Amino acid sequence: MKEGQRQKINQAEYLQNLENITRRHFLWESASGLGALALGSLFGSCSPLDRKPDSFLSTNPLAVKPPHFIPKAKSVIYLHMAGAPSQLEMFDFKPDLQKLDGQDCPASLLDGKKFAFIRGVPKMLGPQASFQQYGESRAWVSEHLPHFSTAVDEVTFLKAVQTDQFNHGPAQLLMHTGSARLGRPSMGAWVTYGLGSENQNLPGFVVLTSGGKNPDAGKSVWGSGFLPSVYQGVQCRSEGDPVLFLKDPKDVDRNLRKASIDAINEINHLNYQKSGDPEILSRMAQYEMAFKMQISVPEVMDIHDEPQYIHDMYGTKPGRASLANNILLARKLVEKGVRFVQVFDWGWDSHGTDSDLAIDIGHINKCRSVDKAMTALIFDLKQRGLLEETLVVWGGEFGRTPMQENREGKKNPFKGRDHHTEAFTMWMAGGGIKKGFTHGETDAIGYSSISGKVTPYDVQATILHQLGFDHEKLTYQFQGRPFRLTDVAGKVIHEVIG
Amino acid sequence: MKLKVFITVFLLLITFTATYYFWPSEKIDFNSQVKPILNNKCIACHGGVKREANFSLLFRQEALAIAESGKKAIVPGDPNHSELVRRIMESDPEERMPYKEEPLSKEEIKILTQWIEEGAEWGDHWAYLKVENPEIPKASSWARNEVDHFVEEKWEQQNLTPSPEAEKATLLRRVCLDLIGLPPAKQNAKLFLGNTDDSTYERLVDSLLASPHFGERWASVWMDLARYADTKGYERDDSRSIWRYRDWLIRAFNKDMPYDQFITEQLAGDLFPNPSDAQYIATAFHRNTMTNDEGGTDNEEFRIAAVLDRVNTTWEAMMGTTFACVQCHSHPYDPFRHEEYYKFMAFFNNTRDEDTEAEYPLLRHFDKSDSAELALLTKWIDKNISSEKASEVNLFVKTWQPAINLIQADQFTNSELSDSKWLIFRNHALCRLQNVDLEKKNQLIYRWLSWKPNGKWTIHLDQPNGPILKIIDVKSTNGNWAISALDFPTAKGVHDLYFTYTNPHLKTPEDNGMMLDWFHFTTSGLEKDKNQYAKFWTLLNKEVQTTPITVENPQSMHRVTQVFERGNWLVKTDTVQPEVPQSLNPFPKEAPKNRLGLAQWMTSKENPLVARTIVNRVWEQIFGAGLAETLEDLGTQGIPPTHKELIDHLSWKLMNEYQWSLKKLMKEIVMSATYRQDSKITPDHLAKDPFNKLYARASRVRLSAEQVRDQALSVSGLLSNKMYGPSVMPFQPDGIWQSPWNGQTWTKSKSEDQYRRAVYTYWKRSSPYPSIMTFDGATREVCTARRIRTNTPLQALVTLNDSVYVEAAHRLALNMQQKSKEVQQQIAIGYEQAIGQPITSEKLAVLEKLYHQALTEYQRSNQKLVSYHKQHDQQLPQTKALALVASAILNLDEFVTKN
Repeated sequence: MKEGQRQKINQAEYLQNLENITRRHFLWESASGLGALALGSLFGSCSPLDRKPDSFLSTNPLAVKPPHFIPKAKSVIYLHMAGAPSQLEMFDFKPDLQKLDGQDCPASLLDGKKFAFIRGVPKMLGPQASFQQYGESRAWVSEHLPHFSTAVDEVTFLKAVQTDQFNHGPAQLLMHTGSARLGRPSMGAWVTYGLGSENQNLPGFVVLTSGGKNPDAGKSVWGSGFLPSVYQGVQCRSEGDPVLFLKDPKDVDRNLRKASIDAINEINHLNYQKSGDPEILSRMAQYEMAFKMQISVPEVMDIHDEPQYIHDMYGTKPGRASLANNILLARKLVEKGVRFVQVFDWGWDSHGTDSDLAIDIGHINKCRSVDKAMTALIFDLKQRGLLEETLVVWGGEFGRTPMQENREGKKNPFKGRDHHTEAFTMWMAGGGIKKGFTHGETDAIGYSSISGKVTPYDVQATILHQLGFDHEKLTYQFQGRPFRLTDVAGKVIHEVIG
Repeated sequence: MKLKVFITVFLLLITFTATYYFWPSEKIDFNSQVKPILNNKCIACHGGVKREANFSLLFRQEALAIAESGKKAIVPGDPNHSELVRRIMESDPEERMPYKEEPLSKEEIKILTQWIEEGAEWGDHWAYLKVENPEIPKASSWARNEVDHFVEEKWEQQNLTPSPEAEKATLLRRVCLDLIGLPPAKQNAKLFLGNTDDSTYERLVDSLLASPHFGERWASVWMDLARYADTKGYERDDSRSIWRYRDWLIRAFNKDMPYDQFITEQLAGDLFPNPSDAQYIATAFHRNTMTNDEGGTDNEEFRIAAVLDRVNTTWEAMMGTTFACVQCHSHPYDPFRHEEYYKFMAFFNNTRDEDTEAEYPLLRHFDKSDSAELALLTKWIDKNISSEKASEVNLFVKTWQPAINLIQADQFTNSELSDSKWLIFRNHALCRLQNVDLEKKNQLIYRWLSWKPNGKWTIHLDQPNGPILKIIDVKSTNGNWAISALDFPTAKGVHDLYFTYTNPHLKTPEDNGMMLDWFHFTTSGLEKDKNQYAKFWTLLNKEVQTTPITVENPQSMHRVTQVFERGNWLVKTDTVQPEVPQSLNPFPKEAPKNRLGLAQWMTSKENPLVARTIVNRVWEQIFGAGLAETLEDLGTQGIPPTHKELIDHLSWKLMNEYQWSLKKLMKEIVMSATYRQDSKITPDHLAKDPFNKLYARASRVRLSAEQVRDQALSVSGLLSNKMYGPSVMPFQPDGIWQSPWNGQTWTKSKSEDQYRRAVYTYWKRSSPYPSIMTFDGATREVCTARRIRTNTPLQALVTLNDSVYVEAAHRLALNMQQKSKEVQQQIAIGYEQAIGQPITSEKLAVLEKLYHQALTEYQRSNQKLVSYHKQHDQQLPQTKALALVASAILNLDEFVTKN
């Protein structure tokens, strides 16, 4: 009853405000624009906890909402290397594995285990890279990441992440939606649902992909699941329209677009006066936002104007679709108030079935393609004073085996590693995470976690925690029960919080 | 004196106490008063998931049992000896319940105490009780049919009065969109608007219900429930040819197939005696589950995932119940026990499909003459061999079933389930096929291919070097699939078969020799008539289109169903038999314990959920929200219905008067005075009923994604009326499809196929059609019981800039020009064509202003163009300006909204 009353009051206030805003002149005529309007504060008091979600109010679903407690991070950049990079050639240095190179894998590592492609008894495969220690934290980094070795004192490594899914699609889903099956909202959708969007001219949750393919789990890894679709990630593209249908048709310039939206909204307003339906006011506001997005999105998606030193730093080349470009874009987006940026890069699945997927050929190229840019991201955010409020997360959906893959019991044509669920490395930086820290450890050959084991749920709980959420309380009522990102699991990894 | 006071006080006390205890206060109602307290305050710790102190409040029997403490929490009739009462009133925070939470209010304590006093009766939730026809309330003369009686009854309390009837043009557009999903066609407009006779509305409704477009509109709704898509889902997300199921839906809706038959055929069409092709196609309903082609996946894991999805979908789509919770534990709030999930799953666990790449079983579609041939062949066998053999051969030719799929092979040496999909033999290969029933069998028909001649495939019994059943010389098929038969001496019993394969042509251990797809063990007999035998092989090998269907396992392939501990399919416990939950209606005595019997149970008039669920859904489609808002959950955690008696009344009628006719149900709803009201929202409405839960006005609802598209194509004259057939690919921007390991591309369909209704648009799960998704379409990975409408800037961008809408606006403009030379009239015509109403002078002025502004700009830029460009820019400035006006019309709120 109380809830209903408050909704009514909010609704009435909201209508009055919307009316005032839209009555005569339209929004872009006021210098401040819609982003500055108090739209957000209208529902400001409704935190996700006390909203009754089944009665979803479509009028302003992206209004800014406060989290549960004071957050450390305002936004997240999640870099996902789809296909699963090899921790053994990047961060998890295992000299003992080298000694076993070429020997049969001991039965103790195979008994009762299931692998995606390994059959029978595979050979062990030593690290295909040399390692050194860097920084004050003395973190081990491989020769394939020369730039990143300079950034180790800014990051926390999670060396013992463990998942229970050994196929790409399900493992990616688990990582981003908390369930290996389709149908759940993604992390970015949960965050947008919980926090709303700070910049009303840009989507609150943006997805960038490179590598020529979408992630194996498809668009579900940025989908809204059972949450209203308004919370799904908006894919921004480096070729074609940066957001689908953003560009006006060829005969419509800015003036005419403005004139046509003016006309649409004027008629809509006449209808509002006649029918009294508040949804009309909301639609008028959406058309105005669309008009603004047409300017603001191409602006933010264009990296031509970045100074040369930034391009040198990231290794970016304007006008090309690349992982480096996307990482720079991620920085631009969070700078503009986008809450959640997901960067997916495809092609890390180094089985050794061809040279692009060889651990000592293709995988090195993939390392190089990300090394400079991810390092630049950390330092660039830092020099802008944004690192403290931006949580950067890097990882794959699982790790790779210390054994050489022997698909169908045969030797693969190139050196490669199979999918490995028991231990892999992720790193986090900024957003209130410890600097120069390592959490978790694997055994002498990097096969299993021996301490500091964490799961995808723990990573999710930690990300939500840094954004100011209790992951057990950020829920949505669906099918008669409250659902949450971390399902029935997840513990905040307090050890890595600074 | 003192004594007198004492006596007075004493008497007063007695009176009070007596009043308190013996005053005939209303009996406590479990559902409306007790259950909400238990659900909100107690059941999180004492329910289906957690059972702290071994005490649960889910079922009465559990609640009355002795808890861990040795005490009884509830003693019916005796609150003083009920531990529950003591604990909720306790002041010690360590003892008090709810533990570490706010204490219960006095009112809540009183309710629970009185309820125990009154015997602690458990009430059943409304949606789990048999549908009875409620008494029809009295109504004013405003009412047109019984729907209105139930609606009007609720107004008294809020002092609401009905809105006036909507203008005819508004009502016309509304009822067209609701029933056929398209704006009014000219002839309908003429018939209805030009006629003042009251009966024309009914005639209009009848004609819409008879329209072939009716099925297209309602099939879209069902396709969200059926999770219909044209791809398999998961990583590779390859194509799947299942569009015949979509066509089956359209036809079923159009012919008003009774709803009980509609769901029976979808759940169990294959179990009818001699099922028709249409009945097989109906079973594709549960083949819309996803198939995982990703390399390295466990096929059994994804077979089970599909089976679980069938269970969940059956409940959610057809019985408005969230059953998925029960997969891991007893339902936290509703009366379903953990093991009941698996008993229900047992109905679905014996279908032949197994997450194979080919998606067997497939119905093979023969053309007319081949179908006739098959009928003749079947008849011949019936006459000359036996009727059993006839139906066996008929099924086998039609479906290649029953067959053991390649993925059942295991124990490989030099042999492999390559990429988890293909059974490959290399030189000196060995593998096993477990538990093959060979009783009275003497023939194996199998599908295979080979790359090399002179292979030797040997089948051993029971051991890798066991008795030889057969040695086969394997020729090369040059990598093409073939079906062959081999005979062996009639065998007995169940055996493990061991396959070995050698081939001198295979030079390296890595070279592949042959592949196998499936194995059909049978008895010979057909050979005795050469003609018939040849016919059999021709039909069996015919290259035909196919549709995934459901086929039940024969007894020899029967799977045992076990309870998964906490929902984990790897931890199997008790074996269970097919059974329905105890808390609902009993399983019909004469019904078989299979999917057909299950459908009988569901469509029995005793089943409390099936009719209510569809009534609620139809209402939601027409009014924008269900009578119970949570379509997916009519249980205790769903939002309670606003008009429970109306759901019950319509459900009762659907079963008892309308014989499950959905058209009759819809007609009753749209004929009501409630439906015909105006949608204007007055300040009084906004104050008393902002979300229109009481229906004292019509609801304004944004059109569905499909309707938004169909309407734009329709009013601009682009819409194709072509029905049925493979899904089509209308315009879509480049670079949308990027599935890994999948070379398929979006290839724009030719000519009219670009302009088909949205129900025919190709639906790729991992990358659905963008504009549909922007307007809240479902990805259809799993059952979607309702779409939640949103209102976003991305929707504006679609209707402003998506080529589909740009083209529609251009077409509309050309149309406007054709009909008049004069600008004002052109605009008025365009507006009326789109909105179905004459334009007001105010709106006309706004659009005219836009036209002139655009015209000036286009004329100015036109002058700047050199003559070369002029030749190539054929569009006149006037046309372009009018197209901009048309685009504005197609973007009006009143255009994308049902008014």
